[in-house]
Amino acid sequence: MQGLVWVASVLLVAVLARVGGRKDRLQSGSSKQSMQRQLCNGACAISLRAIHLGVSIHRAFQAWVQSSLSQAGLDVRELLEGDDNELVAEKRQQIADLLSSLPQRPAHLAVVLPDSREDIINDVEVLCASALLAKVPRLTIYTRDTSMKDSADAISSRLCKSKMVARAFGSTPQIDLDIGSKRAGCSSGDTGGMLDERKRGGKPDICVSLWSRNNGYPALSALARELAGQARNGALRARQVDEAFVADRLADPLGHCHPDLVILVDDLACLPEFPPWQLQNAEMVQVSSSSTADGSLGRITFGSLARYAKVSRRWGR
Amino acid sequence: MLGLLLSHPWCSCMVLLLSVASYIGVAGTARTATTEPALPFQQRCRAVCGFCATAATRLLVRIVTQGPVPRHVAFIMDGNRRYARKSQMDRVSGGHYAGFEKLSSVLEWCRELGIANVSVFAFAINNFGRSAEEVGALMRLAEEKLVELADRSVAENNRYLRIRVAGNRELLPAGVVRSAEYAELVTKDATAMTLNVCFPYSATDEISCAIRRVVEDAEDGAIAELAAIGEDTLEQRLRIPGPDLDILVRTSGEIRFSNYMLWQSARMAYIQFVDVFWPEFSFFHMFRVLVSWQMALRSINKRKAQMGLSPSAAAAAAPSS
Repeated sequence: MQGLVWVASVLLVAVLARVGGRKDRLQSGSSKQSMQRQLCNGACAISLRAIHLGVSIHRAFQAWVQSSLSQAGLDVRELLEGDDNELVAEKRQQIADLLSSLPQRPAHLAVVLPDSREDIINDVEVLCASALLAKVPRLTIYTRDTSMKDSADAISSRLCKSKMVARAFGSTPQIDLDIGSKRAGCSSGDTGGMLDERKRGGKPDICVSLWSRNNGYPALSALARELAGQARNGALRARQVDEAFVADRLADPLGHCHPDLVILVDDLACLPEFPPWQLQNAEMVQVSSSSTADGSLGRITFGSLARYAKVSRRWGR
Repeated sequence: MLGLLLSHPWCSCMVLLLSVASYIGVAGTARTATTEPALPFQQRCRAVCGFCATAATRLLVRIVTQGPVPRHVAFIMDGNRRYARKSQMDRVSGGHYAGFEKLSSVLEWCRELGIANVSVFAFAINNFGRSAEEVGALMRLAEEKLVELADRSVAENNRYLRIRVAGNRELLPAGVVRSAEYAELVTKDATAMTLNVCFPYSATDEISCAIRRVVEDAEDGAIAELAAIGEDTLEQRLRIPGPDLDILVRTSGEIRFSNYMLWQSARMAYIQFVDVFWPEFSFFHMFRVLVSWQMALRSINKRKAQMGLSPSAAAAAAPSS
């Protein structure tokens, strides 16, 4: 009896799923499928939906567990901005020692943030402090839109006055901020804003770039247009354009390498038009954007650095 | 419903046995390294496991094709050498031969799933830095297997597979170039599925070549208006111009792009790093990737619409059988 009930309920749901589900094959006028095939397809459609539901529940549970664990974890902002006492200073030193002991660190760290980040200036500050603490000399922050570049002056001013950044470095660092069309910088005693190249002596302690989509695909097509114009004017032959030539034109103006580590802060494992040429040597770590809502970008950066430290780079060999 | 099914003891036992047998069958297909003759009982067990694996694969194909299916999937076939070390095979070529066998299986899965375009990263330009012995073995493998794939496609499957070799052929020995040209020629009329074999390939080389072709066309006057040179102009001149990449899968657990299809991947391709060596990549892993992509598809298309990109895939594929 129980078996009959089970069979009847499966058949009923399969019929409903098939009738109420995908209609494209029947509507397209292709050959009619047998009832048996339709029921089978209906049962498979239900199974697929059940699998989707199961995976969603599993992921939601994992995210909840992760969120619970992270609430008890490290908050870089609190650590670097909190009152200076022995306990905090000791914790700061422990983290700095731990980061120094990593067998490899990226020379260039890139963080991809979603466009809808509420407080982008805070995020840049935390990331800059985390990079200084980890002794990463180059930091790139990418958003697809130009919202960061529009807030460049505010970001520059915040970085120059930031207690968090100063504590992460141990003193006020010399920061070179690259916003594409202009450069800004700050060092000890400055209040931010534009600086003449001559005033900035020596190598900056960290170079921070704010990238957007314009640094990627449009830049490549602009380069193609420029070279095509030169070729038309006779200043260039096409056979001169090879990979080394293009690499030279797209090299970092400050001589840094392309990003070694890209942290993708997004629920989707998709890059939102990050500059493709610059991805050639990058390792990628994806972090859910909901896990950064409580300002834990710093902790996520350290976790990604720890993961990067274990990577074996073979360079094709 | 599931509870009713599993509450019956016979049903529970059958489901459990079938699951174990199909897992062994599907997951164990890669472990064919042994050359010792099997005992009759072992042969029967393998036959049963193989049957269960085939049945399980067909069922999962049926299930997953009820939802949207990607148009273009790319694989970075990483982990062959480590697999060879782990399985105590010939380190120079054993892993790569096992990798080719896995590629054949994956192509079969993609055909059943209705995935129209598959791109595989067979050999990177910087792989020429490996030992001469290994590079030679890989070239011989390519020369032999490109012809084999093409002939198989023509003979068995009614020309279902079109093969394109995307890469810088100037770096290849003459024998491999001939095999590539042969494979492309005999399969050029196939329309069901396209296989892009990236050999030897790097994304930066691809982009540089696209820029050079634009410059050549500007020199020749084929591009009249320089202001019209845009992203589409470059994209049409890439080695793998389209369709848009839906899913990029990298095996072996490494989390990098290794200079593969960067232009295509950075445009909202769904990126999955799978922690198994390529010869151990099973249909279960493929199934998980596809289900994960299906669940993310709505968000991906929404973002693409905001970015002005064309939406991903998504007509459900007609199962081939």
